[in-house]
Amino acid sequence: MAGKKASGSAVVRHELKENLQAGDTILEMKNIVKKFDGVTAVDGVSFSMKKGEIVAIIGPSGSGKSTLLRSINGLENITDGEIDLYGTTGMVFQHFNLFPHMTCLGNITYAPIKVNGVKKADIEKRAEELLELVGLVDKRDVYPGQISGGQKQRIAIARALAMDPDLMLFDEPTSALDPEITGTVLSVMQKLAEQDMSMIIVTHEMQFARNVADRVLFMNKGKIVEEGTPEEIFGNPKSERLRDFLKAVTSR
Amino acid sequence: MISDFISSFITEFTDLMDYVGILMPTLLAGAWVMVQLFCWTLLLSLPLGLPIALGSNVRFWPIRAFCRFYVFVFRGTPLLLQLYFFYFLLPIQFDIRLPALTTSIITFVLNYAAYFAEIYRGGINGIDRGQYEAAKALGLSKMQTMVGIVLPQTMKIILPPVSNEAIVLVKDTALASAIGLGELMKASKGAVNRDVDPTAYFVVAVIYLMFTFILTLASNRLEKRFKRYDERAVS
Repeated sequence: MAGKKASGSAVVRHELKENLQAGDTILEMKNIVKKFDGVTAVDGVSFSMKKGEIVAIIGPSGSGKSTLLRSINGLENITDGEIDLYGTTGMVFQHFNLFPHMTCLGNITYAPIKVNGVKKADIEKRAEELLELVGLVDKRDVYPGQISGGQKQRIAIARALAMDPDLMLFDEPTSALDPEITGTVLSVMQKLAEQDMSMIIVTHEMQFARNVADRVLFMNKGKIVEEGTPEEIFGNPKSERLRDFLKAVTSR
Repeated sequence: MISDFISSFITEFTDLMDYVGILMPTLLAGAWVMVQLFCWTLLLSLPLGLPIALGSNVRFWPIRAFCRFYVFVFRGTPLLLQLYFFYFLLPIQFDIRLPALTTSIITFVLNYAAYFAEIYRGGINGIDRGQYEAAKALGLSKMQTMVGIVLPQTMKIILPPVSNEAIVLVKDTALASAIGLGELMKASKGAVNRDVDPTAYFVVAVIYLMFTFILTLASNRLEKRFKRYDERAVS
């Protein structure tokens, strides 16, 4: 339960992985504040989610969605607040961030071998299953530079899954892709949802959020303005700001 | 008329070849010294540059300050001055008498490590922040990230400037003649002064060119090997 308590803020990682049941709290964020050089990106956000839940975070750019997501796995150090995390995280980035000097297989197997000390033969077998899951078995020995953006993102998902995370974080996974190939990535995420993977998805894909998420958070100016089921958020938005936002994104 | 010209040409050419043949043992001995200086310098300064490059980026300021000061001094003063400095400093201040080759190697290694450190530093800084973030998100340690993710990609970036430095080094070895090292330059200068004939300079130029040509071929081949993971147009 050790966590840095330097400036009244901390990410507390609880080692309770085996005991975690569906419905148990997997993540609890209390009063998260993140400031960049005095500019407040996240302004006192609290929320918690249960194992197996799928949370979509929507909102205009600059609303603090990504910053909030990145604070969960420590890519951003929060200025204040507390994060209780029961389990491990995997992350998928907007710009994939694959390792260009490794083949797709190498990308998937590198961290399990180095971090978890998994045997190469074992993880390669697992990697083949993951390549199957994302539909890219034939790209096993190809370098990321030789595949399309949609394929890259699917390899990035497989890479994150290879570490067997309890919670998957998606940071605008389709925003850097051409509209006609976002579907291939979204369908992989849909498959994960069907396998009851816990997921937080920062996205601009409203239709996808509506179909897949259990809960939707709408963020604006660093705060959660509205929160509810997809039906509530998209069907019956209460705040003016959310109504404006939905009007703006659907009329694109 | 024409046959006269041809026969005189042949005579002159064979005379020239005879003279070059006489020069050759001296020049080849000089070339061998040059090769030793070149190889030792590369062998030692290439690895020495890495801790200096990494040290220039650490948060702990005394190490950072030392590494940056090191580069500032060795990159900011003439190599010739450094050669003279060590040539006189070691025997006079410390009573250490070393052969000219050893003094040259020490000086060249210290000097080139500073250049390589700056090349490495630029390469490391050129790695996208997303690579560090992906590594961190996967739980890789800082060491694993540096060794497994950052440095292999840095290799590709630094290869052209490092090859360039290696070619500069071939020519810089000539400076060691200033402290009496019997390398190519000194060997040829001796012959030219003795025979009042610039032929030796011409031969030496050809030898330098051969070396730089070989290095160019080698670096092209290495660069090709790193191209395998280049970004390609995907249909």
